[in-house]
Amino acid sequence: MGELRLMKGNEAIAEAAIRYGVDGYFGYPITPQSEVIETLMARKPWEETGMVVVQAESEVAAANMLYGGAACGKKVMTSSSSPGVSLKLEAISYIAGAELPALVVNVVRGGPGLGTIQPAQSDYFQAVKGGGHGDYHLIVFAPNSVQEMADFVEDTYELAIKYRNPAMILSDGIIGQMMEKVELKDFKPRFTDAEIKEKFGSWATTGKTPDRERNIVTSLELQSELQEKHNHKLQAKYQQMRETEVRFESTNTEDAEYLLVAYGSSSRICRKAMELARDKGIKVGLLRPITLFPFPTKQLAELANQVKGMLSVEMSAGQMVEDIRLAVNGKVPVEHFGRYGGIIHSPDEIVNALEKQIIKG
Amino acid sequence: MKDDNTPTAPKRITAKNMTEKEFFYGHKACAGCGGSVAVRLALKVTGEKTFAAFPAGCMAAVGFIYPQMAFRNNAIITTFPGVASMASGISVGAKALGLKGYKTVAFAGDGGTADIGLQALSGMIDRGDDVMYICYDNEAYMNTGIQKSGLTPYGTHTTTTPAGKNFPGSKTQKKNLFEIIAAHDIAYAATASIGYPQDYINKVNKAKQVKGPSFIHVFASCPTGWGSPTHTSIELAKEVVDTGLFFLAEYENGSFKLNKNPKAFKDIPTYLQKQGRFKHLKEEDYKLIEEHRDMKWERMRRNWKHS
Repeated sequence: MGELRLMKGNEAIAEAAIRYGVDGYFGYPITPQSEVIETLMARKPWEETGMVVVQAESEVAAANMLYGGAACGKKVMTSSSSPGVSLKLEAISYIAGAELPALVVNVVRGGPGLGTIQPAQSDYFQAVKGGGHGDYHLIVFAPNSVQEMADFVEDTYELAIKYRNPAMILSDGIIGQMMEKVELKDFKPRFTDAEIKEKFGSWATTGKTPDRERNIVTSLELQSELQEKHNHKLQAKYQQMRETEVRFESTNTEDAEYLLVAYGSSSRICRKAMELARDKGIKVGLLRPITLFPFPTKQLAELANQVKGMLSVEMSAGQMVEDIRLAVNGKVPVEHFGRYGGIIHSPDEIVNALEKQIIKG
Repeated sequence: MKDDNTPTAPKRITAKNMTEKEFFYGHKACAGCGGSVAVRLALKVTGEKTFAAFPAGCMAAVGFIYPQMAFRNNAIITTFPGVASMASGISVGAKALGLKGYKTVAFAGDGGTADIGLQALSGMIDRGDDVMYICYDNEAYMNTGIQKSGLTPYGTHTTTTPAGKNFPGSKTQKKNLFEIIAAHDIAYAATASIGYPQDYINKVNKAKQVKGPSFIHVFASCPTGWGSPTHTSIELAKEVVDTGLFFLAEYENGSFKLNKNPKAFKDIPTYLQKQGRFKHLKEEDYKLIEEHRDMKWERMRRNWKHS
């Protein structure tokens, strides 16, 4: 059993990054995620593992540092909260275009604009549909506990490496700020230069040797035929993710007549709502997508053959609900129940919404 | 930028002739907040016909929360990197509407100016937009919880430069913001401190006369971020000038002028020890800070006009 600690989500992600052997973190202050860089600066991982921690002069700078580090085959990450992630998107699109592994953490706060510093899930579209310009996708994981904040550093990065594609941990102000028990993994050494050459030598800019061709990191291709070919390659990659990398958690779906669908913080509130509904004799199940891209489309489509209706519960005006509707394709009613602007649902109002919008609706 | 934009000396503002009107009042800044003093005093000079722009930061957080809107003039929150650009837009918008007698003033902290906002500020000055830009410098990102900025001085404990046994906190010196701005050949730029309010408000008054961009870098204490007693804010903002760790100067007609040239500096450690953020400093740190001050003053006294 690993070391047990009581930590904030933001602290856990910082500690997990050190232990996973991340080479570089680039950050910039913004509420409610500033504890990530603060924890790293206080931990001084450069003395322990050699991990570099840099406070940039802006989110744009931090995201481009990420691009630079990733191009060298280093394990790199950045974190921010909603308005800051918006600023990072141009670089993230470049990283996706250049096919580099990297990790971006978004501890979401309510928007739009300056919005609020309270938690929200209103960046779902931005996270799963690409976000920046061009046809690309991030691998998106949505933790619903401090434990998963820590665990997903490794889980997302392994996939980022496997697909040479940037990944995102889409958290929110609740998970970032709340404290829970975490079991931390043991320290993994950072990759040595030799290991980087061995593992990433086919693409990383590690210094050209006479025995191989130049490695080129770029997202530019002006020749339309080649750019289209490049896009085909990216799309094939995303398709493979859809087929093999979907993660979800289903609870009480075996006999469910109604389904709640929720991710992150909302899924924990839905768990309670599900219990309350079952106490009333309503057979409710819960499907929690763990990966938001790729999305558990197939699983939802199958459940649509079984349940009478689905309710998407999000701290947003209704974003994931669109993907659920695409999956269900009209088979059963799919409704959305959202609180936003920093407000979180109560379990009771979720049960009420289920009864009103789905059962009686 | 253009010589004909240089301000003529306006009538001097004193405590006697300063307006009793308040334009930034009833906000919920911390006790002893220097930034709010800087904004309050500046608005007394620029008056009701001011379009004020603030990026996401302390003043945005304490002044704009409905129903406690603390501004009696027009004011708006901008993006963090975009305060200068939005002020440019307001200024040309007012011009297009034919509004007369208005001044657009951008207020931003040290992080919003010297780090993320520098590009926009440079563009604003380069275009010659009619905006007064005031940077209230409390030497760290305070709104997000005391992180180091480009204007955080050497030896400061912040949450991203935590001081330790072998680590003095922030290891870089303050960016030379005033000279970076002056290098644009701006018509008027100045440094000031809320510890010398008369000097500050008259610099604001001078900047108000400029038809085009002007810039004031005002030192503003922050008890919350500095770990200093709230009643010492003005005292510390005075002392920082008297120790030579900050300076009062102007740039106009292409030349620099020191407004205050102390014969003898006050003791640096005495100033630093009053603040929690410097409590950890050692003798060798004091020496380094002193050497850097002396080097800077030697250069300023050699190249700039002074009394």
